[in-house]
Amino acid sequence: MENRMTMLESRECSFAYPTMEENVLEDISFSVKAGECVLFCGCSGCGKSTLLRLMNGLSPGFFKGKMSGSFETIGMKAGEVPIEEYVPLVGSVFQNPKTQNFNVNTTSELAFPCENTGMDTERMRKRVKECAKELKIEGLLNRSIFCLSGGEKQRVACASACMLEPELLVLDEPTSNLDEKAIEDLRQFIARKKAQGVTVVIAEHRLEWLKQLVDRCFYFEQGKLSKVWSREEFHQLTIGQLYEMGLRAIDLKGHKEKIERKQIEAGEQTEIAVSVSELKIGYKKQKEVCTISSFDVCHGEIVGLMGQNGVGKSTLAKTLCGLVKPLSGKIYWRGKKASGKEMIKHSFMVMQDVNYQLFCESVKEEVILGSRGEQDYKVILEKLDLLELEERHPMSLSGGQKQRVAVASAIMSGKEFIVFDEPTSGLDHLHMEQVGEMLELLKEQGKAVLVITHDEELAADWCDRVVKLYL
Amino acid sequence: MNKQLITEDKKLKIPDLISIGVYTAVYFVMVTIATFGSNLLLPGFSYVFLPAVSALISGCIYMLMAAKVPKFGAITIMGTVVGLFLFSSGHFVLSLIAGVLCSLLADLIGKATAYKNKLWILASYLVFSFGLMGPVLPLWFMKDTYIAKLEARGKDAAYIEGVFANINQGTFVIAVVSILICAVLGGVFGQKMMRKHFEKAGIVS
Amino acid sequence: MKIHLDPRTKLYFLLLANLLLFFHVDTKTEVMLTILFFIPFFFSERRKTGIGFGVVYVILLAVEYGMVFLGQSVLQNFVSMVLVGIRMIFPCLITGAYAFSTTGIGEFVCALRRMGITEKVIVPCMVVIRFFPTVKEDYRQIKNAMALRGIAVGNFALLRHPAQSLEYILIPLLMNANNVAQDLSVAALTKGIGIKGKHTSMVQIRMKALDLGYMILCSLPFVLFLGGK
Repeated sequence: MENRMTMLESRECSFAYPTMEENVLEDISFSVKAGECVLFCGCSGCGKSTLLRLMNGLSPGFFKGKMSGSFETIGMKAGEVPIEEYVPLVGSVFQNPKTQNFNVNTTSELAFPCENTGMDTERMRKRVKECAKELKIEGLLNRSIFCLSGGEKQRVACASACMLEPELLVLDEPTSNLDEKAIEDLRQFIARKKAQGVTVVIAEHRLEWLKQLVDRCFYFEQGKLSKVWSREEFHQLTIGQLYEMGLRAIDLKGHKEKIERKQIEAGEQTEIAVSVSELKIGYKKQKEVCTISSFDVCHGEIVGLMGQNGVGKSTLAKTLCGLVKPLSGKIYWRGKKASGKEMIKHSFMVMQDVNYQLFCESVKEEVILGSRGEQDYKVILEKLDLLELEERHPMSLSGGQKQRVAVASAIMSGKEFIVFDEPTSGLDHLHMEQVGEMLELLKEQGKAVLVITHDEELAADWCDRVVKLYL
Repeated sequence: MNKQLITEDKKLKIPDLISIGVYTAVYFVMVTIATFGSNLLLPGFSYVFLPAVSALISGCIYMLMAAKVPKFGAITIMGTVVGLFLFSSGHFVLSLIAGVLCSLLADLIGKATAYKNKLWILASYLVFSFGLMGPVLPLWFMKDTYIAKLEARGKDAAYIEGVFANINQGTFVIAVVSILICAVLGGVFGQKMMRKHFEKAGIVS
Repeated sequence: MKIHLDPRTKLYFLLLANLLLFFHVDTKTEVMLTILFFIPFFFSERRKTGIGFGVVYVILLAVEYGMVFLGQSVLQNFVSMVLVGIRMIFPCLITGAYAFSTTGIGEFVCALRRMGITEKVIVPCMVVIRFFPTVKEDYRQIKNAMALRGIAVGNFALLRHPAQSLEYILIPLLMNANNVAQDLSVAALTKGIGIKGKHTSMVQIRMKALDLGYMILCSLPFVLFLGGK
């Protein structure tokens, strides 16, 4: 270990963005040796993403800010070396699969870094083949990224990051939008790179899949590097300790068992809000259709909807909300057959990307829009912890706050059936609990709540019942 | 050193170019919608109203780009890229030329007040909107050809020419006036949206 | 058999089609050139598009001939002029459709680079192609969100409150566009888009004898027309 080269060296490094008064990084010192696999964890806003930006050269050049101390990546000093020099040495993978491919064609995306460095065509073609073979994505070559699933897009992004054979790989919450299978693909990818001697740094909230991969784990708290664990120490952390620090569980066995139980056990039966019989869903153009023989959600119940990507969870949710017409079968509202138009009146969906559903210039306007009157909007804002934000523009809020604004608008317009699409993707444990509490609040008000999720902890700890869809 | 830093900041950099690309894509969608919209208004002569309809609905995008990328070249690139796409999808070559010229002029007007003065940016938007006159121009060529064709067949073209002269002058005046009105309306609406949303949300200062 | 023409050849077709309009060529020359423009369609994957265009073109020609001889009321002339107008921009439409539907993005970018166009135009072009489909997807999401909130439901609702509807659609769209612009910048910068010096292309384009030959063939009717004038 001692003989190995130092890849990353941070000396009393502090960093502040111009828009914020406080430092996001405070006096950070550490070093990472070549070939190590290091996990950065901590609550949202703890500064781990900023550190990653210092590593791949995006800060302070692109994400501007004031820096003190020094940060070196493979001998390159942050702030003194332009990002272009980082390109051949550092590969980066980001959170959102939708926006991290610059090219429409997957092969072009792989070739893109090579083209930019002026590699000749022959070598480039060879390299694309090699890389695709190594990462087993030959089947994804020469396709439009708009035809790929999130997991597939993420694999292309990983391959593209490896095209120039970097010495350091930096992954910023790469699994936020992935399902179990895609995460397994990613795990194998990292294991392979690690075996090749590539240094890997991952910032991540989900910890379970990284259990066997990481050599060390850094825990950040409010901009400070407060703990460093070896792999053994990391494994010994109890779930209580983790939750106290706002982290996710390392071992999900218990949660998975609990989910199994929740699939069989029925909660206490109250009045059924939504139910279906022999529902066939899908889009006409696509062949994949899913048939659901029976399914229901009761008032005052939180139902978790799980299953692999592409199995039809979102389509089912949209069909129930009346946004997509079912191919055949019936949907019932409180036992009466209901049309799509009627379902839209009763339902609301909190989308994964909540930005699409905020329209107004202030939180107050937003919750009043489309509601039956503004008499008790303050009560609802109070309950959702939004009262001080009343006059703010919804787009200036944090992700969780936006979500709550959307929920407030749903309550205000008297919706009874509320669907959440992946409400906890990319959230630490603390923020996940906040989402859970919001679900509980809706439950207490007698709403029927359906949650589409990959998140085992949310499903196990907060859902009354879990339904899994299979292909 | 400081001076160099300032000039460096006025140049378009990669993130600026990408932002321009994204706004241009949205603008191009607006132009496409405007084509359909004006087709509903006056089938066959949709191009007469295309610039106006498009000016009416695109103000937001223009204002946002002027605020986010207040550098010389941004507007010119937007006009040029739209022109390039119009041309290569089979529109008249003057679409490209008009697009480049009008956006360049619009850019200069914006630059005169460093993209800060609301009134000047509105004026700049007005000029920019004329960039879409390109696809309208073939109408004039067509008239000539059509009349030549009638004459070749020995028809009484003088009468027809009289009718078309009116129609053509009429359409020209209508096109110009409608662009002027719509660009002002669209631009003012865009500036209102900037205050109401983007400035309040802290996305532009 | 598939023939792949160089993007610059397609560009030349486009220019020729435009020149047809400029120089008021006679119908004979126009038809000849249009036929020449049709032929490449049948050696590409877009055979059906070609056939579709061909049928419409023939119908336009036929109708026009019928109309011109019918009489000359103002209305008749008006309709007939519209038809002639559409037919006249047809060569542009055909060449445009051919260029657009048979050119890969890589080829397009490579051609722009070869023609010496600045990266300041090429990068936005790439982004437009990348982002265009996203706008459609975004619009669908926003429409769904509006339906759930009970905003602008019904067939002509969007037109009843046009300014309001425009605001509700455009604001989320542009907010998202801002985020995407940032994400794409990050992705592109870490992949070296800003590296100075020559950028190569994996897709190679080359002018072949066929390209040159076909360009000369297409120029012929035009030259003959100008010569005979």
